[in-house]
Amino acid sequence: MKSRVQAPLIAGFLVLAVWQAVVMMADIPEYLLPAPSVIFANVDRTLVVQLAVTFVEALIGFLIAGVLAFGCAIMFVRFTALEEGLFPIAIAVKTTPIVAVAPLLVIWLGTGWWSKIVAVILICFFPVLVNAVKGLKAADAEYRELFQTLGATRSQEFRKLRIPYCLPYLFSALKISSSLAIVGAIVGEFVGATQGLGYLIMVSSAHLETATLFAAIAAAALAGITMFYVIGWTEERVVFWHSGSLE
Amino acid sequence: MNAITLATRLEATTLSRPEPLVSIENLQVRFDDVVAIENLNFTVGRGEFVSLLGPSGCGKSTLLKAIARLVPLASGKIVLRDPNLRVGFMFQKPLLLPWRTTLDNVLLPVEIQLGGNVVDPTDQSRARRMLNMVQLGDFIDAYPHQLSGGMQQRVALARALIGNPDVLLLDEPFGALDEFTRDVLNEELIRIWQSGDTRLHTIIMVTHSIPEAVTMSDRVIVLTGRPARLIEDIDVHCSRPRTPEESEPGLIIKRIRAMVRGGR
Repeated sequence: MKSRVQAPLIAGFLVLAVWQAVVMMADIPEYLLPAPSVIFANVDRTLVVQLAVTFVEALIGFLIAGVLAFGCAIMFVRFTALEEGLFPIAIAVKTTPIVAVAPLLVIWLGTGWWSKIVAVILICFFPVLVNAVKGLKAADAEYRELFQTLGATRSQEFRKLRIPYCLPYLFSALKISSSLAIVGAIVGEFVGATQGLGYLIMVSSAHLETATLFAAIAAAALAGITMFYVIGWTEERVVFWHSGSLE
Repeated sequence: MNAITLATRLEATTLSRPEPLVSIENLQVRFDDVVAIENLNFTVGRGEFVSLLGPSGCGKSTLLKAIARLVPLASGKIVLRDPNLRVGFMFQKPLLLPWRTTLDNVLLPVEIQLGGNVVDPTDQSRARRMLNMVQLGDFIDAYPHQLSGGMQQRVALARALIGNPDVLLLDEPFGALDEFTRDVLNEELIRIWQSGDTRLHTIIMVTHSIPEAVTMSDRVIVLTGRPARLIEDIDVHCSRPRTPEESEPGLIIKRIRAMVRGGR
């Protein structure tokens, strides 16, 4: 456990140190590449507020998408006709780039929270749906025969076999979606927003405030990493019987 | 004893069969165009341990599943003489739920029977008794991944027994285990069957091992592959416990081997 934290910390520190040294020695102008020290100096209350806005949008959208997608997956597996009819539509929506849809969301939902949350939902929904459908079908035929010999109902089969069996698949999808959630929120903010990291990135790049831009990028990365690790931590406790990840 | 007297004895004993409990009558099972079981007739008597012996993929597992009502019959019928007969099933794989402890895995059939109701303490203590019976009393809170293959199969046996079955259907129950573990578990199965600690009286076991069939069972039904047809129904009246190395079981094993090689 200790070395798992130690090694990346040391590596990260070294990268920053080299970066700092190069910028100072080569005298690179701040608008091109600011030194880490300058970026850290740019971390202020505004940045924290913008980070919080983006993080909350991403989190709400992520949670809604997770619940919706898992619910849909259960319906798809329960009623195959539904899957046959709706899955191609789902794939069509999935292949539409979120960047292309985001302006439409702003027209429909305004520049407030909802256009971002919906962008997050759109981007997070499919990995969870696809993996959950796969996971709900993953229990071996032999397990289903066992449940048949025990006289289990369809709903018992779902509750006691398919859903727990699906959890490792669900968590690996949630990990993918967690980083996508931040992307969705920032794309939504690019198109039309008055706050959030996406807004901060647009404004600071327009003003050539590269240090602020870097700080915003770092904050976005931090938000993604945090979500990823929180889910990983939860996964280890919920799916304790399953070691190793699926895709 | 030479082969001729043995054969006479085998024929003589077929006359005194116990009352039939399960009758297979003109059974045919097909999967789409493939006939898995063709015109099969035999009965299993109350209190018998019957082995269904045949090569892999000959349809013997399908036959067992047909008896458990897991596959539809194309024609013929399977009659259970006692409508209240309770049937337990055990698969080749343990099929334990990895997120459940040993105790909770054994309680799964009880939970399913109860529907939404809560498992009460009597069921809990019954599950504990079953686990003691399969020598796993000390592993009640262990998870499947913490148990060896043999131990997992013991849990599966306890789970098959908790419903208090009269008849146990076993599909190569210890076939995936190493020979040492398999011998021990086979002995335990016989011990539990003979002990009278449970209601269990009749066992139908699928196997592809001739020595296992002969050492375990009262009767060996030899099947050929595809579709499964009965080629011989052999009584094994040797005293228990038996080993394949003893002369009487040894002779029967030889006889079955010759029969199978003969390609009848």
